[in-house]
Amino acid sequence: MKKIISIWSKLLIIPIVLLLTSALFNACRQQPKNKVLIVTGQNTINWEASSKALKQILENSGLFRVNVHISPQQGEDMSGYNPNFSNYDVVVLNYNGDSWPEQTRISFVDYIKTGGGVIVFQSANSAFPDWKEYHEIIGLGGWKNRDQMPGNYLYWEEDEFVTADTGQGYGTLFLKAEAYLVVNRDTAHPVTRGLPERWMHADDIIINRLKGPAQNLKVLSTAFSDSLKDGTGRHEPILFTVELGEGRIFHTAIGYTVSDEEKSALECVGFITTFQRGAEWAATGSVTQSVPVDFPNAVSTHRWENFLPLSLDELMAKISRYKIGMSRKFISDLSNRIRKSDGSPETLLEYEKKMLDFLNSEATIDSKNFICRELSWMGSGKSIPTLEKLAKEEATAEIAAFAFERLKAE
Amino acid sequence: MFKSKDKTNRRKFIKTTVTTALGITVFPHIIPASALGKNGQVPPSDRIIMGAIGVGSQGTGNMINFIKKKETRFVAVCDVDLKHRERAKQLVDQAYKNSECRTYTDYREFLEKEKPDAVSIALPDHWHAIISVAVANKGIDIYGEKPLARSIKEGRAIVDAAEKNNIIWQTGSWQRSIPNFHHACELIRNGRLGKITYVEVGLPDGGKPIGTPPVMPVPEGLDWNFWLGPAPTRSYRGVCHWDWRWIMDYSGGQLTDWAGHHVDIAHWGLGLDRSGPVEVEGEGIYPREGIYDAPVEYDIHFVYKNGMEMRVANRSRLAHGMGTTWYGEKGWISIDRGGLTAEDPKILDEKIVEDDIKLYKSKDHYQNFLDCVKSRKETITPAEMAHRSISVALIGEIAMLTGKKLQWDPVKEQFIGNEIANRLLFRPYRKPWEFDY
Repeated sequence: MKKIISIWSKLLIIPIVLLLTSALFNACRQQPKNKVLIVTGQNTINWEASSKALKQILENSGLFRVNVHISPQQGEDMSGYNPNFSNYDVVVLNYNGDSWPEQTRISFVDYIKTGGGVIVFQSANSAFPDWKEYHEIIGLGGWKNRDQMPGNYLYWEEDEFVTADTGQGYGTLFLKAEAYLVVNRDTAHPVTRGLPERWMHADDIIINRLKGPAQNLKVLSTAFSDSLKDGTGRHEPILFTVELGEGRIFHTAIGYTVSDEEKSALECVGFITTFQRGAEWAATGSVTQSVPVDFPNAVSTHRWENFLPLSLDELMAKISRYKIGMSRKFISDLSNRIRKSDGSPETLLEYEKKMLDFLNSEATIDSKNFICRELSWMGSGKSIPTLEKLAKEEATAEIAAFAFERLKAE
Repeated sequence: MFKSKDKTNRRKFIKTTVTTALGITVFPHIIPASALGKNGQVPPSDRIIMGAIGVGSQGTGNMINFIKKKETRFVAVCDVDLKHRERAKQLVDQAYKNSECRTYTDYREFLEKEKPDAVSIALPDHWHAIISVAVANKGIDIYGEKPLARSIKEGRAIVDAAEKNNIIWQTGSWQRSIPNFHHACELIRNGRLGKITYVEVGLPDGGKPIGTPPVMPVPEGLDWNFWLGPAPTRSYRGVCHWDWRWIMDYSGGQLTDWAGHHVDIAHWGLGLDRSGPVEVEGEGIYPREGIYDAPVEYDIHFVYKNGMEMRVANRSRLAHGMGTTWYGEKGWISIDRGGLTAEDPKILDEKIVEDDIKLYKSKDHYQNFLDCVKSRKETITPAEMAHRSISVALIGEIAMLTGKKLQWDPVKEQFIGNEIANRLLFRPYRKPWEFDY
């Protein structure tokens, strides 16, 4: 018996060592493994601002290396346009312009059918009306003479997806960008699994009446296009997937971009998260990324400037300027982070330390009062001296006493 | 508990009250025919002298319902808003064709000068405990609105004060006095569905946040500081009557507003209305912006000692929407104001027979209170039961605020092994208001 165990353990050591080495290797390797190519250069939305943003969003996940391939300008010679798709795991289509050469089209379709990943970004779903395979790749599209083409509308109605033969029909846009509710209809797909089922998307348009072959298409999320605002009165698909050959295609019809300054839709944590997850799924077929604490809920939007969450110090700095009547979002975010933390004494002590430093710093009275309220339940005895001090100052006396009363009760 | 100097003996007190009310205050000179009990009127000796504290929409509605009862006589109303007071006085005076209804801003003055037999209380939740305890300590019977209190400790203080002073307490959980609800609860209590394993309680969806309105002048006649009372100082931004329920300093939103109805019915059917869950976990959706900070959506899961589970959520999340649905070995029964339904409708026609458990029967919630004031018997919704109904929502609120699964001891009314959650069992008061632990 002993002998057997001994042999087995020796046999086991090798794979364990190999596993450890490979984990170590991966950890040391700075380069993320998935390679992404953003193809752009012509578009109806601002392709420069959006490509820059999409690159940063993908790189922020730590999972992707991103190159941007820029086409000739509209009207210029496209004959030499031939990105090397096969070098990449995911190709992001941020392109809506002049036709690609036939050979480029063939190599792109071949790239997908042999297992390449694709993200169809926003108005790329209007490109190439005369390219049959492209319709299959994007599943649904709009504009550019598509009203003359066969294909179905696909939308959500009374708890199910319905398709309607379009006859003649075309894609229209919401002209005014505004916040709207997104509903995840598929909560089991790797991209949407674990996300809140309903979330507010920041200032964007909805591309209505998408139509197309919709083969091997799975709708993940819809948004209601309000007929009172010249919409269709339908729940339009905004996030969906298409499978073509061995390839996985993630289609995100949101992300309207005006300029580097006006890109709220891209800063939406819902957009960022679904884009990062969509890219990982397109590359690997699964998603390992966790859901950010800041993911928007069913009543409130949430945007990240620079496409990254605020560090706790940055958040506290924002809070330090808070006055009642101003936006409450940063103080809500702190409550939300504490609520969603593991709640262990160690974690709460870390928060408490920052909060006590805050109370002893230059910050508005209203922000200090908020911090006292928060400490009243999640603080510890360590807060008592600071609260006692604040209780003696007129502007903070009331709320410091409130917090003090809760904490001293122990 | 609350500080109180006044511990009037109940019996002695009633005696004094009646004498005072009849002899001096209400009918000082002329004794009308009604006072002598003629023309189908209730003789004054049997009349219940009443007052109302808090005469906004619900308080006024309750008062009107009581005025309609011949055995009551309203003598005074109290509210921090002049408009409410004036309207209520007008209604009382119109009903009695005189101008004798007295008005008060401060409930303490009301309690000092008035000696009613019973008081109808309808206030923002953050005021429930202070005033209910003060009234109970005067030995005055109370018809009080749900939810019983804003926090667990305040609710327990009200129950204790009601019991200690031996007053009659009726909660405005009036669904208990509606035949459909009563029948549903009797079917459940008598095991017509077999063992109940799961209950769903659907309450309203929250409204949309409104942003933060600007600071504005306090309307003339409203004592804003008094309205805030024990809650933190806050500038007036036009959110006061009715809409206070979306701000957590005063209320817990739809969840706490409605638990006193449908959780109350769930408990009644199960005979759990003097008990509570042992485990709670939930998620709330809180607005990130604006003056309203109560959860607009909520989904809370409870486990009871016998293993039964309960889910309390905003209606859109549940298959049956609003109301209470019990699931047992033989299907489900669902009750809401819209009607009584069951997986097998035949079950609803089943009669409650002689050997069955009979639940307390009341055909009229207000009348039940008045009858009990006279008989000194317990009402259909005494304070303890109201406390147990709102406790479900309040510990759910704490689970959502802390974002943690919590173990609850329904006997000690404390979370087990979580001191942080226990701190949320009470909201500290702003001076000069006090609460003694």
